[in-house]
Amino acid sequence: MVEKEHIKGINIFLIMLRTAVILLLIATVIPALNPARMSGLINKSYAFITMAVSYSSITSGFTRALNRGWVEESPLKIIYISSVIVFLGIAAISAGCCMTLGKKRLKKLGVKIIAIASGIDIPALFLLIPAYLSISGTSNPDRVQPMFANGFWVFLALLIICFVLSIINVLKLPRPGPEDKYEMESKYKLFLMILPFVILCFVFSYLPLWGWRYAFYNYKPGSELSRENFVGFKWFTFLFENPATRADIVRVLRNTLVMSGLGLATSWLPIVFAIFLTEVKQGNLRKIIQTITTIPNFISWVLVYSFAFALFSTEGFINSILIDLGIIESGTNYLMSGKHIWLKMWAWGTWKGLGWSAIIYIAGITSIDQQLYEAATIDGAGRFRKMWHITVPGLMPTYFVLLLLSIAGILSNGMDQYYVFKNSANKDTIEVLDLYVYILGLGSGGSGNIPMATVVGMIKSLVSITLLFTANKISKLIRGESII
Amino acid sequence: MKEGITVSNEKVSEKVDLNPRKKRRKSKYKASPLDIIFDIFNYTFLLLFTFSCFFPFYYLFINTISDNELVRIGQIKWYPVGIHFNNYLALANVNNLGTSVLVSVARTVIGTALMVLASAFVGYLVTKREMWGRRFIYRFLIITMYFNAGLIPWYLNMSMLGLTNNFWGYIIPGIVSPYNIILVKTYIESIPAELEESAVIDGAGYFTVFRNIIWPLSKPILATIAIFGAVGHWNSFTDSMILMSGRPELYTLQYRLYIYLSSASNLSALMNSGGTINPQLLNSLLNIRTVRLTVAMVTIIPILLVYPFMQRYFVKGIMLGAVKG
Repeated sequence: MVEKEHIKGINIFLIMLRTAVILLLIATVIPALNPARMSGLINKSYAFITMAVSYSSITSGFTRALNRGWVEESPLKIIYISSVIVFLGIAAISAGCCMTLGKKRLKKLGVKIIAIASGIDIPALFLLIPAYLSISGTSNPDRVQPMFANGFWVFLALLIICFVLSIINVLKLPRPGPEDKYEMESKYKLFLMILPFVILCFVFSYLPLWGWRYAFYNYKPGSELSRENFVGFKWFTFLFENPATRADIVRVLRNTLVMSGLGLATSWLPIVFAIFLTEVKQGNLRKIIQTITTIPNFISWVLVYSFAFALFSTEGFINSILIDLGIIESGTNYLMSGKHIWLKMWAWGTWKGLGWSAIIYIAGITSIDQQLYEAATIDGAGRFRKMWHITVPGLMPTYFVLLLLSIAGILSNGMDQYYVFKNSANKDTIEVLDLYVYILGLGSGGSGNIPMATVVGMIKSLVSITLLFTANKISKLIRGESII
Repeated sequence: MKEGITVSNEKVSEKVDLNPRKKRRKSKYKASPLDIIFDIFNYTFLLLFTFSCFFPFYYLFINTISDNELVRIGQIKWYPVGIHFNNYLALANVNNLGTSVLVSVARTVIGTALMVLASAFVGYLVTKREMWGRRFIYRFLIITMYFNAGLIPWYLNMSMLGLTNNFWGYIIPGIVSPYNIILVKTYIESIPAELEESAVIDGAGYFTVFRNIIWPLSKPILATIAIFGAVGHWNSFTDSMILMSGRPELYTLQYRLYIYLSSASNLSALMNSGGTINPQLLNSLLNIRTVRLTVAMVTIIPILLVYPFMQRYFVKGIMLGAVKG
């Protein structure tokens, strides 16, 4: 019964109207659909919204054309005025569209606003035509490149659709009674409140996926994606067939896996640290130890590197001490040595993270039931037996989850640490996957191979997500609980 | 989304407890030789490790206040000699340092404030079961913790949005932070629902409830995420390197420090000549090593300043751990 009423309540025209408004909004941020790009001098990467926000985005390309008198400034002004009006109209249309989620009276107001705003926008959009005519009458068409933007027709079509549909809705929606107020059901209110954040999340976390298309083009920084430079899976096969890149990948993967592997192999260290720390009986001392050992987690890798510089460079602490002790004659710069890089990186990582990683286990130890210890004491268990048979098993579930997560992240060791410690002597053994992607794509001052770097990053992302889901499956099978 | 909550609790406790209570084991049996050996080993290990965590800070500090010539040849080892603070005054003449400090402070303050506001508000909204499409929206936000498109697509996206070589490139991407949203959501769920209900009965809307009830009551968790957010902003340098390559005046202090540390430049390249300090004094007092170490010290100081407060909030956040059960 309720279901039936609900279906009856669906207003197909309203849904079409909302769809049209959403399409219109999307069109305002797509540079290819910019209706106001009436000349090749207007930057191709500007979307309509940029034109409406700043006048200089329109004029910036025209400085020369204006100085030489190839075009008048008036058509540019007209373009700007038209853009601003259309943009404000679109803003009003979206506000109206939000209002259509409201109850009767608000809904009616919403469609009315859309009708009025799109009614104003259509003639305002037509202002672009005289501007185009004026620009195309230029004395130097080769330089000014007058063109009629295809986006104009898209905008016109969408605005007309919005106008027609909103008029239909204005006529069709029931007249609100005197008892109706401007109200909206709370479920829609909440939705509208969270919407801006969802859009922000989309723009920064989902939109980058669109960048994966660069993997299929022969893209050079500064050039454009076009049919001519589409190369299909060329870079994927290149990755495996070109001996030089293949050797690079093997080397980088080895570094990544070895360093992650060292971390995994010693992932029990924080447990030991936590147990050792709780064995300290003096509360104050324990607190001091914990406070000091946690600090390194909060400083950046650059600062860790500055410590390394202070301690291990030629004039550093270690060299001075060794010279004092008569072990060596003159200092060497340990940072410039390429030996034992994997172990050194592991050591720095452990130094930085040990105290912090132990906190979760210390919390775990405090949450173990004290009665277990008491019972064990009565049964005659000593200190070490209690550690081994109560504390360690008590921490295992946490350890297991963290271990699975770090296995899932085996390819992602981040680039900060390796970037700061990298130099000419150690670059072969320090480059991990994340750092390799950066250097390959962006690290060489604008001449990077962006498609290749995208391919490597893409494969990495896909492998990582597969590992994560596998780890999650394993966790579900063994513990009956998921980890993500 | 049950899974999200599980993770959050697991991670929440990570930030919680720096103060474990341990009341067990009154010595009911005599210490065996094995016990004593263990204790000796234990204390030695812990104290050595603690020393290794403390010493770099101390070493850096004494080297910035000691006689610069001794520092240059590496003769300051355990204690400062010839204490003076000119190095800190001389930083005023280090090229670009002032702007970098400004950029770092600005991004830390603005970025953290917006992130905390957004996390609090979104965290509150996603606890509202009546929201249209709540399950989908929550998953849509949370899933981004586990998946990303990769560095290059992210960079191309930022460049498409005009956020490269633009201060807002530091701020806007960090506003919606799924992990912090989970933390706030979990915390708000632990606030008794009656508080909010009574306000709703009195006619309060969502914004009023948020401002007058949720915000003040969730201050402990907001302080926690604020501190972690601020440390994150202060410490980040790869985004400077990747996004701001065209505008060095937008480099953060951390990246600036990295440049000073890694470039083989000499002192004169680092310092601007026309300054308030007498150049002769500069030359006699400063060398490249002391300048690097002093800049590093200045970069650490804010972290050391907020660290005691952070600890307080680990402890305050213990309430979060209580949700765990």
